[in-house]
Amino acid sequence: MTTDTTTASAELQPADVATLFDRLADVWVELERYLERVPVLRRLDDGTVTIDDYRRLLFNLRQQVVDGSPWISRAASNFDIDHFELRAAAIKHAEEEHRDYLMLERDYVAIGGSLTDLRAGRKNIGSEALSGYMFNYADQPNPVGLLGAMFIIEGLGAKRAAGWAGRFQEVLGLADSQVHFMQYHQEADSEHTGDLEAILTSGMIDDAAADEIVRCAQVVARLYALQLEELDH
Amino acid sequence: MGSTATAYLTGFGRYLPGDPVDNDGIAARLGGDDAVTERIRRRILDANGIRQRHYALDEHGEPTELNEELAVKALRAAFDDRGIDASDVRMLACATTMGDVLVPGFASMVHGRLGGGPMQLLSASGVCASGLAALDAAVSKVRLGDHPVVAVVGSELSSRSLRQRRFDDIRAGMDSHFLRWMLSDGAGAVVVEFQPHPSKPSLRVDWVRQVSLAHEHDVCMRAGMDGIEPVVGNTWQDVGVAQAEASGMFVLRQDVTVLDDLAEAGIRQFEELVDIGLVDVHHLDHVVCHYSTNAFRDAAFDGLRRRIPSLDTDKWYSNLETRGNTGSASIFIALEEAWRTGRFSPGETILLAVPESGRFSFAFAHLTVVAPPDQQGATT
Repeated sequence: MTTDTTTASAELQPADVATLFDRLADVWVELERYLERVPVLRRLDDGTVTIDDYRRLLFNLRQQVVDGSPWISRAASNFDIDHFELRAAAIKHAEEEHRDYLMLERDYVAIGGSLTDLRAGRKNIGSEALSGYMFNYADQPNPVGLLGAMFIIEGLGAKRAAGWAGRFQEVLGLADSQVHFMQYHQEADSEHTGDLEAILTSGMIDDAAADEIVRCAQVVARLYALQLEELDH
Repeated sequence: MGSTATAYLTGFGRYLPGDPVDNDGIAARLGGDDAVTERIRRRILDANGIRQRHYALDEHGEPTELNEELAVKALRAAFDDRGIDASDVRMLACATTMGDVLVPGFASMVHGRLGGGPMQLLSASGVCASGLAALDAAVSKVRLGDHPVVAVVGSELSSRSLRQRRFDDIRAGMDSHFLRWMLSDGAGAVVVEFQPHPSKPSLRVDWVRQVSLAHEHDVCMRAGMDGIEPVVGNTWQDVGVAQAEASGMFVLRQDVTVLDDLAEAGIRQFEELVDIGLVDVHHLDHVVCHYSTNAFRDAAFDGLRRRIPSLDTDKWYSNLETRGNTGSASIFIALEEAWRTGRFSPGETILLAVPESGRFSFAFAHLTVVAPPDQQGATT
């Protein structure tokens, strides 16, 4: 993390936002390539996905979703006052997301899963790596690079989750009340990605921060896909 | 826009207490072996065609089980058939004409005996159609996505009230004898889920419909009042228990003179289903119909044949003759036997039909046999 970007915020050179967006777009293409290789998403795509697959996916996601708000909060506490905008955005974001796991739990129970089993679950290998990376990153002073993580995670919610929900409904004949978590994220995360864009274009990101953001997005894209690949492992 | 889930019947169970009792064995259980009663009994049995039935009574006419026990045994059989146990069930919908106790509801008693975890309960009371009313509630909750697994049971133990001691010294005409030699005991259950059985065929529930015509008909089958019109101060709850018994209020009665109207009204309800397109007469493979007597079978069958010329008698299923008339349990006991004996094949459609004489109610359900997911396309 480059802390020296904070000292001269008035005279910093804002990164070329167009270039930053291009670089993030490349990361997104990379992420889509990873996702194409995820077995459960392939089965979803070709219509052979089972209710057990959906149950396992929720089970595996839940263990990481409960960590989401804590690492965002931790990042918030590590932004100094020169990064007040990012601190405020992180606090708001953490508050908005800290109950999301409850929605996931309701979906899990609505498809016949046991709440006790779900809550007794542990993270899979990919989730361990993702959570470990996020907490470690959030621990650093002014972890601006986490905007890259947000780009990936909120982007998945906004661009993919509702599509996944719809496809699960189509293949498995599910009621809306059984896919709340994924449906909800289309709306909520679209809002969050809008917030992200506002931050990226606000002029507070310099070249070094842009590099951090892109690097973090690359790592999170790989680890998120790993989490989906390593179901139950 | 809201999407609902699909409901499937994935497990089937039944319980019929004791050994089957043939027509000659009835009097030993229920009494009524005097010459006059004997003559009435023979006449009724000849007409209804029931050859054997089950009673939760021993050979001396003493009860051997509770109604709630019959229900639990049928439920356990359905759970075994599906490969689940009570702790997987999130809602229990129970139908019966009369539970063992006045309070609390039958479903509470069944749940208490069944065990499992916390669950939603429904006690559907009424007579025969209450079985499909319970199914309707179960299917609706599954479709909404509120519950993934729901159990439905219809259970009847009417024999206790059909014994001779209820008939001693009271006025008991054809209206009470009719049911006395019709009804018997048993329970039938199904498991309803939002997914088909993973490895065996299931029955997809396309729709359930129930309609009452009580607004234009007097009471037909009843207990607890004098005559067919309840009068303030003169129901079984208003007068002393001894007086209620002496006046015959505890005897289950049926106004047999209106039963032809019931058959007619039932056929009209069926025709409405055809008219509005819920039943496709060109693609109806099975009819499982509950009726109390073979006389109604013939009337109903003729009525259906008018609309479905292709309806052969072999598409028509009932096990009335061997399992008896078990009220709200009958439709499930018939469905279970038809299912277990391999009458249905994937792709076929089934109409369940239950007329209820209580005060003219009719319930129908339409089912489609679906292959297990691994033997079909992704969607059903």
